Amino acid sequence: MKIVFNNVDKNYGLINAIKDVTFTVDPGEFIFIVGPSGAGKSTILKLILNQIKPSNGVLTINDIDLKFGKKNNIDKIRQKIGVIFQDYQLIMDKSVEENIALSLDIIKFPKDKIIAKIDEVIKEVNLNSRRYLFPSQLSGGELQRAALARALAIEPEVIIADEPTGNLDMENSWNLVKLLKNINEKNGTTIIMTTHNQEIVDSLNKRKIEIREGNIISDSTNLPKIKKIKKKKKHEPNQN
Amino acid sequence: MNPIKTSWHHIRRSPIQSFTALLLMTFSFILISVFAIITNGIVKTLNYFETKPEITIYLKDGLDNSAIENLKTELANYKNIKEVRFISKEKALEIYRQQNQGNADLTEMVTASILPASVEVTVSDPAVLEQIYQNYATRTDVVDEIIYQKDIINTLLDWTNTIRKGGLAITAIVLLVTFFAISSIIGMKTTNRKDEIKISRLLGASSWYVKKPFLFEGIFYGVLGSFVGSVLVFAAFIIKRQLINSFFTPIEFVPNDLNLYLIFLGAEIVLGSLIGFFASLIGVKRYIKF
Repeated sequence: MKIVFNNVDKNYGLINAIKDVTFTVDPGEFIFIVGPSGAGKSTILKLILNQIKPSNGVLTINDIDLKFGKKNNIDKIRQKIGVIFQDYQLIMDKSVEENIALSLDIIKFPKDKIIAKIDEVIKEVNLNSRRYLFPSQLSGGELQRAALARALAIEPEVIIADEPTGNLDMENSWNLVKLLKNINEKNGTTIIMTTHNQEIVDSLNKRKIEIREGNIISDSTNLPKIKKIKKKKKHEPNQN
Repeated sequence: MNPIKTSWHHIRRSPIQSFTALLLMTFSFILISVFAIITNGIVKTLNYFETKPEITIYLKDGLDNSAIENLKTELANYKNIKEVRFISKEKALEIYRQQNQGNADLTEMVTASILPASVEVTVSDPAVLEQIYQNYATRTDVVDEIIYQKDIINTLLDWTNTIRKGGLAITAIVLLVTFFAISSIIGMKTTNRKDEIKISRLLGASSWYVKKPFLFEGIFYGVLGSFVGSVLVFAAFIIKRQLINSFFTPIEFVPNDLNLYLIFLGAEIVLGSLIGFFASLIGVKRYIKF
């Protein structure tokens, strides 16, 4: 799934949440979007999820312009995106299993395979013992893993994680990030994650888009590639 | 997720709102059912009079037999005459006594001499009645008064139209109030579940997927409310049928026809589900924004 922001602005009345934002997310990338509170990180994620529409500019996902896309196409795009929020956004009167089943039902996953799929993702996030509990009965780390299980169940092309470590202790934060990294490497799932946690960002050495007051001030798109090129040059035979 | 199961879950989660919606729907259909039965009775009454085209010519006192026989012959010679019937003063007294049986004050004081003799003409084509009326209204030598059922039918028609219009207006107002009340209740329920709706939409649920359980809920109130409302009214009318019909003898004002009740019931259930569906649709639409 290719996501392209092209000179996108989003205004809330007189306030410019993001200004002239341009970047591209290629399939399989792992991207951190960092910046202080109110910088516009969540606005970018909301735009991708088409919760809000750009005020100016063009935002496309797989060449579909989200501003003018048909509702049906937007729904299909959302069905390919797994979402994890800081406040988990689980349905409180449904158990962990029912929350996951809902996301599978929405994507019209074969009914006879739903239970097996739930087994698989619950095991993957290590929530076996919490399967039949309601969100109010889970700890912060468990809630975040339940949200991740729901996102994983639909085998998404993209996972959007909005401050997923915001309510977690360091250990749980690391566990979650490791899980996301594995999913990205194993399945080629694109990960777009906003975070304040500089330690996590630095340790993973992934693409980092830094945003301040609605403007992108840095995009380390090419950093890993530059490193690779430099590394490669080291091992190249001397031409002289 | 089965939308019907989800609807049932919604109903159980907010029992007071659900009960209010159901009560409103039931109340509306009680009124509609009463109006349906009354309208049906009025139509029957009207039909009764319309299918009994009759004119009654009250005769002057002191006419001899030959004058009466001449009159009967003249009348019998009109086209489309079914029957010409002479009611003598004595017969008139007998009929009067039968009609006022049990009321001694009214029967004791009246004698045959004060009642007029009359000729009743029944026709197969009501148009003839107008001709007879025109021809005999001026015959003051033999005719004392003519009672022509056109007046009764016109009066009945006026009443029927007034009742129909009034009933329709009341029904329309009640239905409108119910419609907006259900719409508001479903709207409130949608607001209560706005997080769930938002999450479902973010997961890629179509707006139809989200709306479906609410629409089923509206239909549920419509079907159950109309069923309970109409069955209550029909049962009450059936129980009191003989008492009501005795006021309207010989017209069967409250029917004893199961098929008719089933038709009414079916029509009201369809109407109820349509109201429930569209009221919910409006209620949900207001709250599903993205």
